[in-house]
Amino acid sequence: MGEVEQGRLMDREQIEMLIARVAMNDRAAFNALYDATSAKLFGVSLRVLSNRAAAEDAMQDSFVKIWKNASRYQSNGLSPMTWLITIARNTAIDRLCATRKGHVDIDTPGLELAASGAGPEQLAVARGEARRLVSCLDELAEDRGAAVRGAYLDGQSYADLAEAFSVPLNTMRTWLRRGLISLRECMSRE
Amino acid sequence: MNENSDMTDDMPQGDDLIAAELAMGLLEGEELSQATARLAHDPAFVALVTSWQERLVAMTDSIEPVVPPKRVKKKLLKGLFDDPRVPLGERLWVWKGLSLAAIALAAYLGIQNLGPEVSKTGGPLYAAQLGGQSVPLLVVAVLDASRGEIALGRVAGEEAQGRAFELWAIVPEAAPVSLGLLQEGAAMRVTLPENLRNRGAEITLAISDEPAGGSPTGAPTGDVLAAAALVEI
Repeated sequence: MGEVEQGRLMDREQIEMLIARVAMNDRAAFNALYDATSAKLFGVSLRVLSNRAAAEDAMQDSFVKIWKNASRYQSNGLSPMTWLITIARNTAIDRLCATRKGHVDIDTPGLELAASGAGPEQLAVARGEARRLVSCLDELAEDRGAAVRGAYLDGQSYADLAEAFSVPLNTMRTWLRRGLISLRECMSRE
Repeated sequence: MNENSDMTDDMPQGDDLIAAELAMGLLEGEELSQATARLAHDPAFVALVTSWQERLVAMTDSIEPVVPPKRVKKKLLKGLFDDPRVPLGERLWVWKGLSLAAIALAAYLGIQNLGPEVSKTGGPLYAAQLGGQSVPLLVVAVLDASRGEIALGRVAGEEAQGRAFELWAIVPEAAPVSLGLLQEGAAMRVTLPENLRNRGAEITLAISDEPAGGSPTGAPTGDVLAAAALVEI
């Protein structure tokens, strides 16, 4: 979870409060939110894009989206750092894909979520599981772990992955889906 | 991903996997549009997607924060807040003089119908909320000084049978100037006389009860039902 690192600076409630104030067009809150979270979001943008200028632009775009969509945050049930990082990750991946192969818009899952049907418990479980993600990824067959990382952090499509692993597209998809199932099982293990 | 015919037997299926693929950005074409559409009306599916977002975001935990250069923030804030073309909606929102009902109306009308979409000239905007004291009447007025136009939105209030609501602009030490009758419907615009255009901050708007067709004398004859000063927003 992102807020583990951010927590030193600001806890979850404080970030939530800032997002709530940003939703009411509070510029001072936006300033404070930027100061508290931009380093993490810039780090993520940089990781995805591996290019400083592109990462700066992507992070700037992310904060514009955060300013404009803060009012949507509350209903989607995500923890605040997940929401912010997901926007940064998706924006960076979009930019990467746009330069690579024409625009593919994947903003939607980060921004357009309707009210979530998940109760707080369900999401707390997902958040608890998330702490185990990294070790669970390492438990996966090496290929599958790499494929999940490649898709999430490098914006690789199934076609890209199939090429990289020299397997047919559907085989790739079958692998990755099995990987996701194992991942979920591993993460939900006590 | 459309040519999966024989292989589909092997491929695990289910909403949870579609949700994961959506969260990762792996869906394309038809599958992407279908899944995206579900986000709007399928809370159970949304819950699956958000759960995956929570799980997957852990991949960013090991990414070290990197302090961005100061100029990025400067550019961001300038781009967001220094644009003189601030949408009217945003200016109304930050103005504290509006009641919830008025805000709801503004949102309902799509603020464009209530006022100038965007004040392109960046000239001052003024607003007033006219609430009736003795009758249920609530009108929101927005003056775009650069165009000399007042946009009016009627939130509540109806004329009595055979009567009309007349709108007046009042500046100090001058007789009220009629701006015409409120028309039926929620939104209308009136033009401010030339000599009042630069005096937005001094104008008080008032609504009086008049005979159908308006005041016969050119001055208010009936009760003043509501009055409020324009405030710059």
